[in-house]
Amino acid sequence: MRWTESDIAIYEKEREYVDTAVLPLIPISMTSSVKTTVSMGEYISIISGELERQLKGRLLLMPAFTYLQTENSESRVERLKQVEEELYQGGIKHIITLSADVEWKQSEAQLSSALLWMPAIPLEHMDEQYKMETVSAQVKQVLQFVTNTWQSNTNS
Amino acid sequence: MAKKNEVTRRQFLNYSLTGVGGFMAAGMLMPMVRFAIDPLLKEGAKQDFVPVMDTSEITNKPVRKEFKIDQVDGWYESEVTQSAWVYKDEKDEIVALSPVCKHLGCTVDWSSNPAYPDQFFCPCHAGRYTKDGMNVPGTPPLAPLDVYNKKVQDGKLYLGKPEPR
Repeated sequence: MRWTESDIAIYEKEREYVDTAVLPLIPISMTSSVKTTVSMGEYISIISGELERQLKGRLLLMPAFTYLQTENSESRVERLKQVEEELYQGGIKHIITLSADVEWKQSEAQLSSALLWMPAIPLEHMDEQYKMETVSAQVKQVLQFVTNTWQSNTNS
Repeated sequence: MAKKNEVTRRQFLNYSLTGVGGFMAAGMLMPMVRFAIDPLLKEGAKQDFVPVMDTSEITNKPVRKEFKIDQVDGWYESEVTQSAWVYKDEKDEIVALSPVCKHLGCTVDWSSNPAYPDQFFCPCHAGRYTKDGMNVPGTPPLAPLDVYNKKVQDGKLYLGKPEPR
């Protein structure tokens, strides 16, 4: 489900079925390596959008968590933790954070959400057919990760 | 003396007034009528069929095919990816099912659950459908999967809109 009024109305009704939030982590920079930053964000947006389409009924795709490239990691982590806290309070059981920024990988241990890091693939020059194949191959892997998260928690 | 065929002043004025008045009335009524019947004319616009795959590729095992359609959502026009599960049933007829689970809209997968190899399985809440798209009682979905409108032309399968059963 998306962060829209109509989807949230369904969410309110079916709360018991929706226990997972997807949170894209998207960096912002206007001064240095702008293009790389944008390509990370774009790629993560595409992947999380596709993920939402496939697992619409159990996922809530949150508005992206944005941060400045210059923000230090303690403060980012601190802010992200607050978001996590809020989501858990709201009844979400699994939080999946998606990022193409390798810096998050180092702070992974401090987070309670499942961080999924993947390198951004530049889609800019690909033709439409190839682009779709690349993205759907990636999404397949991500799906696997998400369903595994669900299974490991129901078994434990 | 007026000749028989000559038009009198009175007649001339009558004719020209009716003529001009008629034009004015028509000018006013035409747009009104056009507006009134406009919805009727619009309904003729049909959902476009999109080529999806060659019919020769279709087997009795469901395969997932992705295709793009244009969707207008309010003021936002976009290309949306849609998928279909395509296969041939026992009577050798092509079946195209929408993969959208009727429970909460996840995408169902063919035989992804080892326990139920011949069913569509929804990874979100373990909903199941038999091969013909019927929901398995006792699982969350309450309706069978939608079926795509389809047509075959020049050896290609074209899909239109998914219709509920």
